[in-house]
Amino acid sequence: MKYALLVFKNLTRNKRRTVLTVVSIAVSLFVFSALVSLPSVANEILAASTSSLRVSCHNKAGLTYSLPEAYRPKIRATPHVVAVVSESWFGGIYHEVNDQFPNLAVDADEVDVVFPDRGVTDEEWAQFKKIRTACVLGASTMKRFNLHVGQQIMLRGTVYPFNLTLQIVGVLRRGPSQNFLLFRRDYLEEAAGRPGFVSDYWVRVDQPSSIPVVIAALDEKFANSSAETQTESEAAFLGGFLENSRAIFRLAEALGFIVALTIGMVAANTAAMSIRERRAEIAVMRSMGFPSPVILRLLLVESLIIGLVGGVLGCGSAYVALKVLTVGMPAIGGLSAIRMPAIVLLETLIVAAAIGILSALAPARAAARQNIVDALRMVA
Amino acid sequence: MEAEYSIDLERVSRVYQRDEFEVRALDDVTLRIPNGRFVAIMGPSGSGKTTALNLIAGIDHASSGRVRIGGEDITSLKERDLARWRSRHIGLVFQFYNLIPVLTAFENVELPLLLTSLSKTERKEHVETALTVVGLADRMEHYPRQLSGGQEQRVAIARAVVTDPTILVADEPTGDLDAKSAEEILTLLGELNRQFKKTIVMVTHDHRAVRYVDDVYNLDKGVLVGVEPGGRSSAEQRSAANV
Repeated sequence: MKYALLVFKNLTRNKRRTVLTVVSIAVSLFVFSALVSLPSVANEILAASTSSLRVSCHNKAGLTYSLPEAYRPKIRATPHVVAVVSESWFGGIYHEVNDQFPNLAVDADEVDVVFPDRGVTDEEWAQFKKIRTACVLGASTMKRFNLHVGQQIMLRGTVYPFNLTLQIVGVLRRGPSQNFLLFRRDYLEEAAGRPGFVSDYWVRVDQPSSIPVVIAALDEKFANSSAETQTESEAAFLGGFLENSRAIFRLAEALGFIVALTIGMVAANTAAMSIRERRAEIAVMRSMGFPSPVILRLLLVESLIIGLVGGVLGCGSAYVALKVLTVGMPAIGGLSAIRMPAIVLLETLIVAAAIGILSALAPARAAARQNIVDALRMVA
Repeated sequence: MEAEYSIDLERVSRVYQRDEFEVRALDDVTLRIPNGRFVAIMGPSGSGKTTALNLIAGIDHASSGRVRIGGEDITSLKERDLARWRSRHIGLVFQFYNLIPVLTAFENVELPLLLTSLSKTERKEHVETALTVVGLADRMEHYPRQLSGGQEQRVAIARAVVTDPTILVADEPTGDLDAKSAEEILTLLGELNRQFKKTIVMVTHDHRAVRYVDDVYNLDKGVLVGVEPGGRSSAEQRSAANV
């Protein structure tokens, strides 16, 4: 602490240079943390789904092909199956085309059993089951359009030739579906004239070890039928969605690190210039008896502070920007809005510290070890 | 037992390698300075004055011979130990002051005390005392750019003495000053020697300095060519003779 004043005074000796260095690190780490957030959110979604007790049962021909609603009781009767919910994609538009968000119709009776982890309260599920036109809406979509529970909204049909008026009774507060809207399938069926088909089924099993058993049982049950099924775990299902974005994720990560590396080199040049200017002062301090390790630590601490301040500003502003600018905007296969996970904040600060220390390490070591007489001769 | 000599260079040589040339800055020099003396090392450019000073200050190593300061052989001390030794025993004054420009006079003088275990309050007392001794108690919060050359050198002297070193080493302390400021600095150094019995070794080209010192050591081409009494010794002898 007794060196704190010395460090502070050296940091402010050339305010313009210090500010520009901090800002350049902040801008680069803003870009870094924003880019690295993309794959991190995807990894978070996948990690959360690995412990899920849900499996997805959809048409083997593809997600755009439907399944008969008559499959539901058969699926429900399969051993180890606790609950089943069918899902039908509505694809309605709220206001403008650009305001679209995922909206699906689900069976009301067991939706709370299949999706207990979506952050909807028991009272809200009870209202969902009670009111035919009820819907639950993702928290980020609520915020995006400034909606609240109790409000009515209208979805304009795109796939279906009719509009639906819905009443918001609850909020999807957790999970990857925070931009989704779920409403009752019986309401959709009635409006559509009871076509009797669904997009897919979500099945809850009793324990993790039952997942492969149920997957095999369901696909075997519906093999050689007019609508063969492909059943997979939730992790595999989400992974399939995200697979198309993998190349973009890798590119985003690579770009993020390239940006960080570039600014690290710029910071190293700045640190070298700054330390070179102070060569004589460093020689004088060593002549007073300041040991080389102390000189080295002082120089590295100065550089570390610059790096960390830039890092905090960079990832802090990226966090705020992602929160404000992407509220409710679906990304990552429509599963989630882009946001900054806590791990990315930590990664960014570590990168900031690394930039701070590594950029100054070589010139600081050289300065701390320089020959005192030679350095003093340069002043003279 | 206190050493008879503050500074004892015994058959010391310093050889530098400059590209393909070997430069003998000091050649088998034996130089002894008694305790409490104020001496000048003089000679033409390239005579080895600054090299001798650097060896005494412990910021350079002899190529051969022994360097004893205050009875302690520092010849083969490792760099870390030498740094610690310097912080306790040496106060350095440079021709161009070498104050840290971003620190005030107070903070510059406090700098060497950061290496000690003194508390903040104790450091403050030491600094205020040192700046008062050099006559700059009213300039503590001034930055070097706000001081004259003479004042900057006073701050540098305060910085050099604040740790109460065994020896004060000054390399051309008046080299960058006008005549009046130079006289003031030489007077101040003389006072420090007289009042506090500090051994002071000064390298200088300034012949005015001869009046203020006890002895003058003359170097030429890396060799000690002679020691003659300085103005202060002569004055004391005349004073003793009159009595």
